[in-house]
Amino acid sequence: MNIYLLQIINGIGIGMLYFLMAVGLSIVFGLLGFVNFAHGAFFLLGAYACYQFALAGLDYWLALVLAPVIVGGFAWITEKAFLHRIYKLPHEFHILLTVGVALVLQEAVILQWGIVGQNVAVPEALEGVLILGQFVYPKYRIFVIAFTAVIALLLWCLLDKTRLGAIVRAGSESTEMVSLLGIHVTRIFSFVFALGGATAGLAGVLAAPLRGVEPFMGVEALGIAFVVVVIGGMGSFAGALASGLLVGVVQSLMSTLWPEGARLMIFVAMAAVMLLRPNGLFGRT
Amino acid sequence: MNASFLCQYRHLAMAVATVVVLPLVLTSGSLATEVLIFALAALGCNLLLGYTGLMSFGQGIFLGLGSYAAGLALLHLRIPLIAVLPLAMIVGALAAALVGWFSIRQRGTYFVMLTLAFAQMFYFLAYTLRDITGGDNGLLDIPRPPLEILGQRLLPTAGPWEYYTLVAVVFVVVFWVLQRIVDSILGRTLLAVRDNEARAAAAGYDVRMLKLIAFMISGAITGLAGALHAMLTGIAPLSNIEYGTSESILIMTVIGGTGKLFASVLGAGFYVLVGDWLSTLWPRWLMLLGMLLIAVSLFMQKGLWGVGTGLLQRVRRQGRADDTATQRSAAYD
Amino acid sequence: MTEPILQARNIVKRYGRFTAVNGVSIDVLPHTVHSVIGPNGAGKTTLFHALTGTVPLTSGQILVDGVDISALPGFKRVRTGLARSFQVTSLFPNLTVLENLRLAAQGVDAVQAFHPWRRPESFKAACETAASLAERLNLTLVRSRLAGELSHGQQRRLEVGMALAARPKVIFLDEPTSGMGVDDIGDMKQLIFSLRSDYTVVLIEHNMDIVMDISDTITVMQLGQVLVEGAPDAVRCDDRVRSAYLGSMITGGRK
Repeated sequence: MNIYLLQIINGIGIGMLYFLMAVGLSIVFGLLGFVNFAHGAFFLLGAYACYQFALAGLDYWLALVLAPVIVGGFAWITEKAFLHRIYKLPHEFHILLTVGVALVLQEAVILQWGIVGQNVAVPEALEGVLILGQFVYPKYRIFVIAFTAVIALLLWCLLDKTRLGAIVRAGSESTEMVSLLGIHVTRIFSFVFALGGATAGLAGVLAAPLRGVEPFMGVEALGIAFVVVVIGGMGSFAGALASGLLVGVVQSLMSTLWPEGARLMIFVAMAAVMLLRPNGLFGRT
Repeated sequence: MNASFLCQYRHLAMAVATVVVLPLVLTSGSLATEVLIFALAALGCNLLLGYTGLMSFGQGIFLGLGSYAAGLALLHLRIPLIAVLPLAMIVGALAAALVGWFSIRQRGTYFVMLTLAFAQMFYFLAYTLRDITGGDNGLLDIPRPPLEILGQRLLPTAGPWEYYTLVAVVFVVVFWVLQRIVDSILGRTLLAVRDNEARAAAAGYDVRMLKLIAFMISGAITGLAGALHAMLTGIAPLSNIEYGTSESILIMTVIGGTGKLFASVLGAGFYVLVGDWLSTLWPRWLMLLGMLLIAVSLFMQKGLWGVGTGLLQRVRRQGRADDTATQRSAAYD
Repeated sequence: MTEPILQARNIVKRYGRFTAVNGVSIDVLPHTVHSVIGPNGAGKTTLFHALTGTVPLTSGQILVDGVDISALPGFKRVRTGLARSFQVTSLFPNLTVLENLRLAAQGVDAVQAFHPWRRPESFKAACETAASLAERLNLTLVRSRLAGELSHGQQRRLEVGMALAARPKVIFLDEPTSGMGVDDIGDMKQLIFSLRSDYTVVLIEHNMDIVMDISDTITVMQLGQVLVEGAPDAVRCDDRVRSAYLGSMITGGRK
């Protein structure tokens, strides 16, 4: 099969995962106004939840459904117990609190599962490759693309079509206005933060069979999510999708052309976007 | 003599006291030196955060570059120690000018993210330019020459406590200079920028230029710390320029407390010493650090310094209350 | 015929597709009080922002004493002789009153702000300006209190002081009396009127007592444009102004 076609499809697969990693961060920033540094740790939790389920002999499909709920729950508790109390403080402290949470979670993971990376098996139903004439591609990766596409659609429907989504979008514009309309903005905060955590956790579950799990994958995921959100535009769903795919495909192609430069290019692109189009490709002006 | 003049001497005295006390309570010269080196890095970070209101996740850039500059200069150019230190400061300041010029165009969270992007960029640059930086291994076997001027040996540096003496002198000098800067017009103007940027601009101040200067001073001090670190350990590792180092420096600064220079010394001391002690007991001590960060964000926004001054105030108030109580009871006798 | 000290030609300010100020021209004569009034949303504050450089112009020209300053960023316009107060109090809340004023006084001197060695107290001029201003604004008693701890009336006075400290040619006061109690308003009115001898005042106000009594010229704005401009009496009687305000608000003043 043509190597470039292969890389592009790989890129789409990675890109969809990047989108899923970034969309939660983006929505949280849009509504709450700060960057959640614990976002990568939620991704980490999701991945290790998947690993733990595998260790316990439970179905991957169970992990796929339950892990995001568990991680979302963690995120919800973090917001209610900690973040909630310090919204009046400047954003520095929100960032610092989430840095603290990320550290605690990372060390907890190491405590529980050790510092060495582990492999996670692809679920039986998705083992092996799909062959359609010339086209040969791993089944699991196709599943990832399809599944994240469905999730993306569901999320979009939630944000665009439901009343809750409208409140979230309005709240991103002005939290004052929304609360003046009599809506409990703070309850929305918890929900959005939990949703962000859940999507990160889901991304973790999906990523685990692809690359295994190791305790520092959270930091890496956070870095990638940052880049995607900045390029796509803070607070923009479409931006997260477009730039996730863009970054994924570019990274994939670069890995055949200039492997070492791939990483560097991505951060250069991020800085370039911040300077030329500070609100991102799809960001609000 | 107005209040700030006395204040300055009080803090400088504390810095000198720290330098004198450390050898008395620690047995390891290199650990004591490490405290002072990271105190310098935290001071640089505090200048940005506590005095200018800029939260930089990129301080590791300047630390790492300072280490590389010192390493390369000592290994290949064989320049004397007296020249290595200013060289590292210049490298740090220039890098800060570059990073700052781009980052300062953004405010708040966007600024934070840009510094982070730059930190990652420099890390990958350092990793890729293996021929210069040694890549993953870093620069090794960096010599530690004695302090000499024109062939006259001023200070030996071979032993750990000898090197500590040199670093201690540098530390006190830098602290004094920084305290002067912070109390000067520039420092007070930076405080105004932190308090209300829009008002500062409306009053006629070139806010961008002020932030850039603060950045450059911070970069110079952090680069200096990097050079001293390279000579302490003999290596210029890749990890100095890594995101984790930037995060650690920021954490030290916040735990110490922003707003007073000496607080950074407290924060760095705490981080290095407690870290050193705890990491032998429990490898996962970072978890406690994370919890401390959460606690600081929730309850102790002024950090250890804030806790200390708070306690002092309470003791004083208690003393006064005791006095009035004894006076009152005496009146009833 | 005196030359205007400030001339604004065709000022336009757009935010995306929304035009807040749509071709406003104003001439301000020296040592006068020139008021800008109009219903909410007329673009008065945006006009101030555009004139003082708080926001960049979309198009138009601004001349101070004949010198074109349209391309200068806000902080540089202070040196050309413009200073402002804000409608929403914008002070340095964690610094003392005296320090606030000293900083405002120092801001005019571009280079001094960067001096990394000399202490602020050694620059006598700025300190004296701050002290005498505190006196004039009745803030001497609270001069060592943090600006954030002052009462609202005191903060509004300090807000005006910040503009005065720059010793400008033209002072822009944006609703200086907003939220003030009756006693404070009287003092503020006297203060603004007393500024005429040393400065030129451009004033946004909703309090028609003040506007009618102390203004030399009034510019009425509506929907981003100038509706009417003239002496207080002329403006008060103008039909267009009556209908813009729904006839109910221009009844203040002692005359």
